Amino acid sequence: MSVRILWQATAAEWGKLWSVRSTWWCLAGAFALMVLAAVTLGGASVTDALRAAEDGGPPAAPVVASEAAVSATIFAQFALVALAMLTITAEYASGSVRVTLQAVPVRGVMLAAKALVLAPVMAVAGVLSGAVATAAVHALLSIDVFGGLSVLPPGEVARDLLGVGVFFALVSVLTLGAGAALRSAAGTLTVVFLLLLGLPLMLLMTGSPVAVAASLRMPLFAGLAFMGSTDNLTGGPLPYSAGEGLAWLVAWTAAALAAGHAVLRRRDA
Amino acid sequence: MISLKGLSKRYGDRLALDDLTLDVRPGAVTGFLGPNGAGKSTTMRLVLGLDRPTAGAALIGGVPYHRIRNPLRTVGALLDARALHPGRTGHAHLVALARSNGIPRGRVEEVLESVGMAGAARRRAGALSLGMSQRLGIAAALLGDPGVLLFDEPVNGLDPDGVRWVRGLMRSLAAEGRTVLVSSHLMSEMQLTADHLVVIGQGRLIADAPLAEVIAGSSLTAVVVRTPHARELAARLRADGVEVTRSGENELVATGTTAERVGDLAHEAGVRLHGLRTREASLEQAYHELTEQSVEYGAGRA
Repeated sequence: MSVRILWQATAAEWGKLWSVRSTWWCLAGAFALMVLAAVTLGGASVTDALRAAEDGGPPAAPVVASEAAVSATIFAQFALVALAMLTITAEYASGSVRVTLQAVPVRGVMLAAKALVLAPVMAVAGVLSGAVATAAVHALLSIDVFGGLSVLPPGEVARDLLGVGVFFALVSVLTLGAGAALRSAAGTLTVVFLLLLGLPLMLLMTGSPVAVAASLRMPLFAGLAFMGSTDNLTGGPLPYSAGEGLAWLVAWTAAALAAGHAVLRRRDA
Repeated sequence: MISLKGLSKRYGDRLALDDLTLDVRPGAVTGFLGPNGAGKSTTMRLVLGLDRPTAGAALIGGVPYHRIRNPLRTVGALLDARALHPGRTGHAHLVALARSNGIPRGRVEEVLESVGMAGAARRRAGALSLGMSQRLGIAAALLGDPGVLLFDEPVNGLDPDGVRWVRGLMRSLAAEGRTVLVSSHLMSEMQLTADHLVVIGQGRLIADAPLAEVIAGSSLTAVVVRTPHARELAARLRADGVEVTRSGENELVATGTTAERVGDLAHEAGVRLHGLRTREASLEQAYHELTEQSVEYGAGRA
């Protein structure tokens, strides 16, 4: 695959992404969900800490505002999943994938071009929406009721926001792979939702050690571990490092892309 | 040039295309005919590398489609005019296609102008009429100024002016030396547009011949003779193996021969002629005969 061909295909996909309204709606949705979820989660965790302190527990510790943004990704990711999914399933729904493949007949180039457009857009959307959500959380927690517990240590905030960006980029490419493999919007949304949220929670609830270990290595917890979240749903720390979390995320994304590529090559368009 | 070599395609247990071998040559409009489900669209999809052949190969200039660098500059195609993202404008659609194949941006305005939809291209594709979508699809096919063009039912949804425009476009593209393959169900339109015909039925090749030859081969193409000695001439013609029917007191209809031959035979027999002309079958009649036979043949085998 020549670099020039890939570059041309990527430029075309870039134009396609921004020439439909659904892109803007999904991005707006992601921003709104990030802010809403972060403010809710941040407010709840501080309220819990304050209540515990009142009940004679240890004094409430300061809260890094961007941590709420990291937790909010669990919900906000689905607006971006929808966007990533549409870049491929809308082509199958309308039949325009046949026009796309006439222009870019090498399946791998077509898929790579879409991924190369999605990843940076999602990363930027993650960093920016994370920053807006962090600012909103900080503004809320700075009022007296919450005891002025919110802090913004620049290093940690920057790391959290970058983490959110990378997480969104990987999840969107994972969705693209699944969309290429499944082609229909309903099927893709169901599978990706199960993979990202439904299945890890179900496995976690079984309580069996094997199921829990598997659950913790699915994108949900791998992502939280990678983003350095202390607010994981398991009630305890994740059993591996941020680096390993990233490795699991990349592995899931690569598997989805490989599945999408295999189907693109084998099945008629 | 498009070359099909033993091209076959199976969908499940249905054989959509059965060992099709033919060349579509440049400099002519090749009409691609056949009943619904005969395999015309399948053939086009295989040529464009959208579907994978079960056996054989479809080559363009000797190479398979996916090997062509910037394919839109070599092959332009209109398969389904409605296959557009309904929310994207025609203009944005063409700009993306141009970018993907390194075609200068200015070419977009050029082709939009040439298909007569400079204004409508700013509307979202979902709001376009079928005729306008068809024009947009033709614009996309012309975008890369390709030497090979495939059109699947291009006049579908066009008004009479549009139909005439497409006819002229096909003729001029072929006159420029391009390879033009057009499928259509409108036989009268094909008769005016095509130089050469490829007819398929049930995935098999039925005819691959110049339009004139297909029409001449029809049993309805006949020589009509007016003569005061009809009985005498009929006997003479039958003796020569010509099938003759008497259509009036002084008129005979001879099939399977030419006006020249009938004239010569009449001269030899010393029969006076008052009229001698060839009555050509329409393409519709010729097509009907060809495909009818194919259906019977297929049914007989099944």
